[in-house]
Amino acid sequence: MGVSLVKVYKANCNGLFLENMVNENLVKDVVKEPYKYGFVTDIETEKISKGLNEDIVRLISQKKEEPKYLLDFRLKAFKKWQKMDEPDWAGLGYKQIDYQDIIYYSAPKQKEKISSLDEVDPKLLETFDKLGIPLTEQKKLTNVAVDAVFDSVSIATTFREELAKHGVIFCSISEAVKNHSDLIEKYLGTVVPASDNYFAALNSAVFSDGSFVYIPKGVTCPMDLSSYFRINSGDTGQFERTLIIAEESSSVSYLEGCTAPMFDTNTLHAAVVELIALDDASIKYSTVQNWYAGDEEGVGGIFNFVTKRGKCLGKRSKISWSQVETGSSITWKYPSCLLLGEESVGEFYSVALTNNLQQADTGTKMIHIGPKTKSTIVSKGISAGNSINSYRGLVKMGRKAAGSRNYSQCDSMLIGDQASANTFPYIKSQQPNSEIEHEASTCRISEDQLFYLQSRGIEFEEAVSMMVSGFCRDVFNQLPMEFASEADKLLALKLEGSVG
Amino acid sequence: MEIIEKIKTNKLTDKQTEIQKICLHKLQSSPLPNPKSELWRLSNKSKFSNFLNYSVNEKHPKSDIPFPENSQNTIRLIIGETCQIKLIKENYSIQQLSENELNKYIKEQIACFDQNENWSDLLNLSLSSTKNFVGLKINGSKIPPIEIFSHASTNSFNAKTLIIFLEKNCDIELLQVNLGKENSSLSQSTFFLLKENSSVNHGVVSYGENRSNLLNSLNVIQQNNSEYNLGALHFKFNYARFEISIKQSAGNAKTNIKGMQLTKKDEQISTYTKIDFNGPNGFLDQINKSLADDKSHAIFEGSIIVPKIAQKTDASQLSRNLLLSNLAQIDTKPQLEIIADDVKCKHGATISQLNEEELFYMRTRGITLPEASKLQLSSYFKEIISFIPVTKDRWDLLDKLLNAN
Repeated sequence: MGVSLVKVYKANCNGLFLENMVNENLVKDVVKEPYKYGFVTDIETEKISKGLNEDIVRLISQKKEEPKYLLDFRLKAFKKWQKMDEPDWAGLGYKQIDYQDIIYYSAPKQKEKISSLDEVDPKLLETFDKLGIPLTEQKKLTNVAVDAVFDSVSIATTFREELAKHGVIFCSISEAVKNHSDLIEKYLGTVVPASDNYFAALNSAVFSDGSFVYIPKGVTCPMDLSSYFRINSGDTGQFERTLIIAEESSSVSYLEGCTAPMFDTNTLHAAVVELIALDDASIKYSTVQNWYAGDEEGVGGIFNFVTKRGKCLGKRSKISWSQVETGSSITWKYPSCLLLGEESVGEFYSVALTNNLQQADTGTKMIHIGPKTKSTIVSKGISAGNSINSYRGLVKMGRKAAGSRNYSQCDSMLIGDQASANTFPYIKSQQPNSEIEHEASTCRISEDQLFYLQSRGIEFEEAVSMMVSGFCRDVFNQLPMEFASEADKLLALKLEGSVG
Repeated sequence: MEIIEKIKTNKLTDKQTEIQKICLHKLQSSPLPNPKSELWRLSNKSKFSNFLNYSVNEKHPKSDIPFPENSQNTIRLIIGETCQIKLIKENYSIQQLSENELNKYIKEQIACFDQNENWSDLLNLSLSSTKNFVGLKINGSKIPPIEIFSHASTNSFNAKTLIIFLEKNCDIELLQVNLGKENSSLSQSTFFLLKENSSVNHGVVSYGENRSNLLNSLNVIQQNNSEYNLGALHFKFNYARFEISIKQSAGNAKTNIKGMQLTKKDEQISTYTKIDFNGPNGFLDQINKSLADDKSHAIFEGSIIVPKIAQKTDASQLSRNLLLSNLAQIDTKPQLEIIADDVKCKHGATISQLNEEELFYMRTRGITLPEASKLQLSSYFKEIISFIPVTKDRWDLLDKLLNAN
């Protein structure tokens, strides 16, 4: 269909149709692309019964052989969660989630202890292979260490020995609880307290796995670290927890990817990510989120309700979030920075693409507490179809944040006349000796630019793709190499559609 | 909160008009706005209850506020005192709206009220007596400038309502002055209907005295090809809210807003604007300035709503803020909600203090620091003041602002 439309379009190229071009079905076709990670892996899993109560929380903790302080942490969070109300301020209008209809723990059945990757179920390896995540030895050519999380548990972490040589700890959080209990006890829940919000409390009570990273003093992590999250069961919620600690003068770049199969029910993903950067440390956290987004009618898809927060505790520490959000039926997340240390820096670079009936309510919070802190926000939203794409952000200058600066830029692009783009920046200042600048704009794909590109012989679809890519360039430039190409490909896939 | 108690028990006035009855009925079900809603969450609770803690003013003592001299060619109305008007001249007419016209229009408005968003209007219409209710129909051309005063009396709650119909092709300059009195609350609601091809330069100047409170709500409906220019200034209120709602009912209209609020001591002044484009080719240019000093709190929340029907809308909104003290606070939230795709919308916000380089430059030229600050502030104020029509030359607003304590 795309081909014929392009032909018609070309045939009319000298006509007056330019006016209506963007309203034509062409662009709508261009942004359609089937989800290619929607397969289900047929693997025997161990699941606990549906529902959530204190016994389930105890059961999860028992299955993971956790120490008492962690069980107490979970139970405390669970009690708080019971008293909390599900937030509705974002007006996302989703169907009430039945928290008793979710399985809170599901793990692929495998031998108790895995000493090498050869012992991992080949079906699992195949799954990650299909997703383009190299776990097996022969494929570990790229210089990225991967922690692969399947439903509720981490199944493999690569390059561990190599990392250990540098003193870097990179493992699943369950292993960290066993082997590095002191660090977990010291830092878990210090950035996102259990009672922070409804979904963080839920996660704190039932989190099953996730990644743990510890970079010792003075170490620059020799390779990028990466977690890959895969939801396989339709009735299992994924509640992973990531904790990254960067000691003095250390630095790390961490990547996160996510996919899920296509189910016609909504699956809940409520993760918590905590980052801690001490003096002169730097953490770069990049996400390419491509959970299943539901079909064109908005049936199915992941509810991605995530709490991500970083604490710049040390002087001159830096936390940089970059994200490419293309999946999920509903995304509701605000990766934030608490800038406590003097001269600490927070950054947020985001591209959010929504199509069909997707909703994305995303943005960031930059809380300037310490003096001379700096933050930069660059957010690009692209909405197509009937989707809703909102930027919601908070910039706050506390009374002690003298000499602090913030710059925010939020641009939205609308494709088609059914999509909606909203911007809600909350700006609060209590410090006269600080500066906040915010700017936002909304536009559509420029007809003049489109016409220009086409007059130079570039196909319509490619022209749209180029312009979207140009629109997002500020953010893509911030992504690590491995991700930049993936993100570009992902956007192109979502936008390319059936032409050619 | 004396007033709320009386609303709940329906013990306000004996002679209630139809409008009052409707609004009171609406308020009785939920007498207070939702403190968690976006519009009210930053509102200082103790100041808000203080605002409602006066009894409704039944008497109307002659105002003792020294208004500046009236020049000969302006028409002056004081709501609650001299508001009977019937001027029919060769090229224009200004007359009272008939009771029917008034009731019909207000009922239409109430029908689309939202309990939270229009709480201020509901309260105003519930408490505003016939005497404090002025409706005007203005027609014609070359109309002399109009000044309309609302003033509060000490130790009381005063509600005043103004409704203006601007007929087709009509063009006016109107200055509205809201004067607060010590220990008083003033609720002012204004409803403006701009018919086709009409245009208005509207000025709103509100200034109070110690511990005076103000709830000022402005509702404007703009028909095709109308132009609405608003210059607004609010200062010296212990607690003040200015709520602007503008609806371009069929698009093709122009709106320019320049507003400013100045807070000192422990004052809290907030401006909420909602601009609704309900048709294509709408235009908006808005700037809102705040200045917060001492322990005060200035708030701005602006929302621009562009539905699918409003193609080719061109809207821009800018919030500029000066924070001059360590204990003061500024909150600003300019927001865009857009569904139409062929639009140009942008907003910006800045918060900073006086420009140090400029101050330094002036000091190297022999200007003292206080003078240099004053100069900078006056340029900051002037952009807004010059946009306020009618009395800008007579009201020495700039001096009032620069010397306000």
